[in-house]
Amino acid sequence: MRLHPAAKRIARAALAGTACACLPPWFAPAVASEASPLEVAVKATYLYKFAPFVSWPPGARRNARSGLCIVGDAPFGETLERAVAGQSIEGRPIAVRRYAQADPAAPCMVMYLAGSPAEPVERSLEAMRGAPVLTVTDAARGQSGRGIIHFVLDEGKVRFEIDNRAATASGLTISSRLLGLAREVRRE
Amino acid sequence: MSEPVASVRGVSGLSRLAPAIAIATAVGLVVAGVIMAIYSERSLSDQQVRAAHVQAEILASSVTAALTFDDRAAAQDYIDALRANPEIRAAAVYDGDGRLFASLLRPDEAPLPAPVRRLPPLEAGNRLSVVVPVVHEGIDLGTIYLRLVVESVVQRLGRYVGIAILVVLAALVFVVLSVSQSALGRTHRELQRRAEELSAAHHDLQHQVEERGKVEEALRQAQKMETIGQLTGGVAHDFNNLLTIIMGSFERIRRGLARGRDPSEMQRAIDNGMQGVQRAAALTRSLLAFSRRQPLDPRPVDVNRLVAGMSDMLRRTLGEQVAIETVVAGGLWRTHVDPNQLENAILNLAVNARDAMPAGGKLTIETANAYLDERYAGSVADVEPGQYVQVCVTDTGTGMDREVLAKAFDPFFTTKSIGQGTGLGLSQVYGFVRQSGGHVRIYSEVGEGTAVKIYLPRLIGEEAALADDAAPALARGAPHERILVVEDEDGVRERSVEILAELGYGVLQAADGREALAVLEREAGVALLFTDVGLPGGMNGRQLADQACAGRPGLKVLFTTGYARNAIVHDGRLDPGVRLITKPYTAEELAAAVRAALDVETRRPLVLVVEDEILVRMNTVFMLEEMGFRIDEAGTAADAVDKMRRADGTIGAAIIDIGLPDRRGDELTAELRALRPELPIVIASGYVSSELGQRFAGDPLVRFLGKPFERSQLAVALNALGVRAPDDED
Repeated sequence: MRLHPAAKRIARAALAGTACACLPPWFAPAVASEASPLEVAVKATYLYKFAPFVSWPPGARRNARSGLCIVGDAPFGETLERAVAGQSIEGRPIAVRRYAQADPAAPCMVMYLAGSPAEPVERSLEAMRGAPVLTVTDAARGQSGRGIIHFVLDEGKVRFEIDNRAATASGLTISSRLLGLAREVRRE
Repeated sequence: MSEPVASVRGVSGLSRLAPAIAIATAVGLVVAGVIMAIYSERSLSDQQVRAAHVQAEILASSVTAALTFDDRAAAQDYIDALRANPEIRAAAVYDGDGRLFASLLRPDEAPLPAPVRRLPPLEAGNRLSVVVPVVHEGIDLGTIYLRLVVESVVQRLGRYVGIAILVVLAALVFVVLSVSQSALGRTHRELQRRAEELSAAHHDLQHQVEERGKVEEALRQAQKMETIGQLTGGVAHDFNNLLTIIMGSFERIRRGLARGRDPSEMQRAIDNGMQGVQRAAALTRSLLAFSRRQPLDPRPVDVNRLVAGMSDMLRRTLGEQVAIETVVAGGLWRTHVDPNQLENAILNLAVNARDAMPAGGKLTIETANAYLDERYAGSVADVEPGQYVQVCVTDTGTGMDREVLAKAFDPFFTTKSIGQGTGLGLSQVYGFVRQSGGHVRIYSEVGEGTAVKIYLPRLIGEEAALADDAAPALARGAPHERILVVEDEDGVRERSVEILAELGYGVLQAADGREALAVLEREAGVALLFTDVGLPGGMNGRQLADQACAGRPGLKVLFTTGYARNAIVHDGRLDPGVRLITKPYTAEELAAAVRAALDVETRRPLVLVVEDEILVRMNTVFMLEEMGFRIDEAGTAADAVDKMRRADGTIGAAIIDIGLPDRRGDELTAELRALRPELPIVIASGYVSSELGQRFAGDPLVRFLGKPFERSQLAVALNALGVRAPDDED
């Protein structure tokens, strides 16, 4: 399995973290049951790597730090914090923020909708419809509902699909170079 | 003049510099070309590298997402898209760790390099390699390697050499053009200068020609006036004579009409007038001959025969001082000309030759067949090439200088003094020959002699009867017309005597003046003294004539001389009653001169009519007047003798009535005979007794005329005595 160097680096860190058994107890079962740690690490790096290929409208919620938000029971744990360390979106350092419910007013540039029993992905998407936030969903989460970017696995590799219509509706513009890598693009 | 020369020198100095300037310019051009080539080579190289960078950067930007999301297939897709560009020989994408991510390598290409992060553009052969980083949003994602095929240095150099050759050629062309331009300019200036000089010279020449034209025009006018003067003078004189004759005839006709005569009796006057008219016509013919409009009477002529026939005449014309040689060619062609004119022409040439040889010499007349070829004909105006009969008349005389030669054929041009030559001789020759379709040429050298060659066209075809030269009718005389020939040269004298005797004259001779006077004393009835001007023994011809005429008023004189006429001529005119024939003379000329001298005063001779009966006398006088005589009248014998004495020999004849109041006519006749032994006397008588007849039987100058007589009978009687009626010439 070939992985992006950054993802591998994170994956190694994640494995090291696991080995250190310093993971919180609520984190471990979910991760183990849904995806391999490497896969999760790759997805974590992808979350911020999308940013350079996306341009947000002026009305986006920009704070001093660009918000990379997780809604629901995300499998990343500390991996995400380590992955985004030193990275930036629109030239501003990234702040990982976690929410139980999707809130369009939250200061987020990218929002990973993991879903939870209390807050299904469908509902989150409904809440975020039209908000200038890059919503990301994951097929591996087993939930219906697709964000602007939707992770899939292709021959064991993390790939994604893009809903360009939803992006446009949210006022986002996605680079054609990113569109060119998508396994599937929903257009008008 | 010095200024233009200096300026020309300056200009030529500049023009000498022109090739150097041109060469310098060409070298500059080549250097500029090299610099341009180097600059363009540099900029091309830069441009190629820039273009390669741009392509690599486009590729880098395309693969950022693929590198970011580790999508090799997508990256390979981008790389493969480059295959369409044949210039791209190899391409590779390396990831951030320097590992090969996607690549393109065409067959026969060198392998891709080991992972490189940074590399300056590298040119090897015709391959240009560039390496650019893939950076996205400040993140270094990897590197792009691109290898392109570019034009190699050798190829470029080849191209530059081609361009360089073109440049050098252009420079050479420029040099050649500028050099030739400067040469052209020089030539042009030189030509311009010459053209100006030529123009000036032309202007000068034109001016001179104009001046010369004016002078020539004036000269021509003067010459024309002189010529016309000569011509009109001569023609006027001749025409005056003829007009006198014609006028006389008219007068007589008028008189006859006034007197109511029968028109038939005026026939003689009319005939006389007609004769005058015919002579006038002859005169105009001869004028026309000089203007070459004379009608010719061409006949086939054997020139040899014609020349042979002329030899006697020539000998007499040229005299003894000139030897004549005739060289005739055998088988000579015939020619078709007017024989009289040809004879005239030869005679004219002979006379000229004689005059050119005052001290004697040799005249050669030569005939030959001649062919004038194209070249000769081409060199002379108005000559047709072909066969000609050549007559060459050569003398050993003084010759002519160039100036005279040039004018020799001009009418009225003569080197002889006034009165000695008409200036029409050679002109006649020229006119005749040209009119006959021939050609005449003069060769002459001063001191050597002159040769005149006449070319007459050969007669080809039928040989018509050759012209026979009829012997000219000579003016004859009568035995009672006694002529005294005075000549110291025996040969000349004998010839003259011979000729005159043959002509029927009574001839006496003397060798000098003294002898001549003795003959005149001794012999009665000498009508004409024919004397040489130059005589030996202290008395020249002139003096002889003066003495001879002193006692003989009726005596006529004819001079002859081989020299100039000056001895007898005064102020260009002959004294009245003096006639001259120049030696040598032909029989014809002598006959004519003698006849003319004898007739000069007997044209209107004075006739003494002796008759006592007034009416008869008037009738006789009238008849004689009709015949053209001048009349003197006498009523008695004494009166007649008196008049005869006083008339001093001017009375040419006497008509005596037999019965006169004071004595008998026969006695008067005897008396008058004593006074004038040569006087013709007609005795008019009712009847002639035998005694009377016997008395004058021995006198040839006495005739009897029966009374009454008619005019014709009177004329016959007078005629028998040699008294010609001026108006009754038959």
